[in-house]
Amino acid sequence: MELKNTALHAQHLELGGKMVPFAGFSMPVQYTLGALKEYHCVRAEDSCGIFDISHMGQVRVTGPDALAFLQFFSTNDVSQLKDGQVQYAALLDENAGFIDDITVYRINATHYYLCINAANTDKDVAHLQEHAQAFNVTVIDESPQTALLALQGATAQALLQAICQENLADIAYYRFAEVSLLGQKALISRTGYTGEDGFELYLPNQDAAAVWSNLVTAGAIPIGLAARDMLRTEMGYALYGHEIHADITPVEAGLMWICKLDKGNFMGRDALITRKENGKQWQKVALKLEGRGIPREHYAVFANDEQVGEVTSGLFSPLAGGGVALAYVKPEQADAVLNIDIRGRKIPTTRTKTPFVRSCVKK
Amino acid sequence: MSIPTDLKYTKDHEWVRLEGETAIFGISQHAQEALGDIVFVELPELETKLDAGEAIAVVESVKAVSDVYVPVTGEVIKINELLEETPELVNNDSYGQGWIAKLKVSADMDTSSLMDATAYQAFLDQ
Repeated sequence: MELKNTALHAQHLELGGKMVPFAGFSMPVQYTLGALKEYHCVRAEDSCGIFDISHMGQVRVTGPDALAFLQFFSTNDVSQLKDGQVQYAALLDENAGFIDDITVYRINATHYYLCINAANTDKDVAHLQEHAQAFNVTVIDESPQTALLALQGATAQALLQAICQENLADIAYYRFAEVSLLGQKALISRTGYTGEDGFELYLPNQDAAAVWSNLVTAGAIPIGLAARDMLRTEMGYALYGHEIHADITPVEAGLMWICKLDKGNFMGRDALITRKENGKQWQKVALKLEGRGIPREHYAVFANDEQVGEVTSGLFSPLAGGGVALAYVKPEQADAVLNIDIRGRKIPTTRTKTPFVRSCVKK
Repeated sequence: MSIPTDLKYTKDHEWVRLEGETAIFGISQHAQEALGDIVFVELPELETKLDAGEAIAVVESVKAVSDVYVPVTGEVIKINELLEETPELVNNDSYGQGWIAKLKVSADMDTSSLMDATAYQAFLDQ
C-alpha cells in the first residue's frame, strides 16, 4: 500500500525529518536534532516542541440523536460534557475488548467531534457508520482534509498566543475553543500526550503549513515519533496496539475510570460487568529496572522462574535515569519480585506508579 | 565525514584496528548515524572467545536494538567501561572514545573478508 503524506510532508523533508512508515503514513521518526535532544526540548523549562500528528483521524457527528448515538459507543458519560469540553473515552466491542481509545469534543448538544487513532480510522468510521442508520445522525470522516498539530512544553502557550486572537489562559485542561490562528479558523484544545502543558490544533490541511512554519520560526522545536513515544511512555499513557487492543478490556488496562457503568447501556457494557465481577485476567504494572538495560516491548516478565507476563512498552527514561516498562502480568503474581528477561538475563525491577516522572499538565 | 584509512571494516559496519596480536573494534560512523541516539551499550564479558561474525555486544538507540558482530576471531581482553555511563560516546566519537572492546587475536588470522577504507566507502556508496 502506498504511504500517505500529511499536509506537512515538504516541511518534514526540509527540516531533515527521517521519514518512516507509520499507520499507513510517511511520518518523521526524528529530525536532524535527534530523538534525545528533541525529547529534552519538550521537557525543558524554556522551550516547547511541535508535532505533526495529522495521521490521527477526526470524525464529526451531528444530528438530533448525536448524544444518544455517542452514549451507545463511548464508555464514558457523554451527557456530562458541556460545550467546549473534551472527554477521554474508549470504544469497545461486544466482548469489552478495545476497538480504540478516543477523545470526544462537545461543540454543542447536537454536534460532536472525535479524535481517533490513525491505525484505527477506517475501522472506527466503519463501526460508527454501520450503526448510524439506527440513529438520526450524520457521521463524517474528516481525517483526509484535517491537519493536527500538537504544541507541547513550557513555552507552548506563549508561542501560540502570538498568533491567536483569543485569550489562551481561558482554555483550561481538557477544554477547547474554536479560534482564529493567523486569521484562519482552527479548533484548539488544551490536551496532549506528553505530560507537558500544551495544545492540540485542528485545522484544514491548507492552513497547516503557515501555522507550522510560524511556530517553528518562533522557536518551537519539531519533534518526531521516537521522542513522542518516550514522552508518552514516561507518563504511562496507554497506546493502542500496545497497552490496549481487542484482547484487553478496561478492567485490565486500568481504565475503568473512563467507563461509566451506571450511565445506561453501551456497547461492551455487559461483558465489561462480567469481566469486572469475574476478576481481571491481567494486572497492568509499571516497573522500574533495578539493573542495567532497556526493557522493550514483548520482553518476558518473570516471577521466580515462571514467566508471568510481558512488557507492552519500555524504554530508557532520561528523567527516571534508567529503564522503565509498562507490562501485563498474572494478577496473583503482581506483588512478587518481577524480573524482566533481557537477552537471557533476568534483571530485577521494582513496582512503581505512573507517571514514571513528574507531569506538568495544568489540571 | 571521511573514513579513517588506518582501520579495516566489515559489511555489518564494524571497524577494527589491527595491531599485531591485539585488535580494537567499534561501530562505524555510518552505523551510529543510522541507529540514532545511543542510550545503552551491552558490553561483552572479559575472556569471551568468539569467531569472526558472532554477536559480541548490543547497541541500543532510543528506538532500536542492534547486535554488534565481532570483526575478527579472538578473545576479549579489555572492554570500554566508559560506555556504561556514557554510551553517547559511540555517537560522538565512533572511531575513538566510542570503541567497544579489545581482543587478543592470532597474528596470522584470516582478514581477507575485511575491507579497507576505500572498499568500505565503495560498499556504502552501493
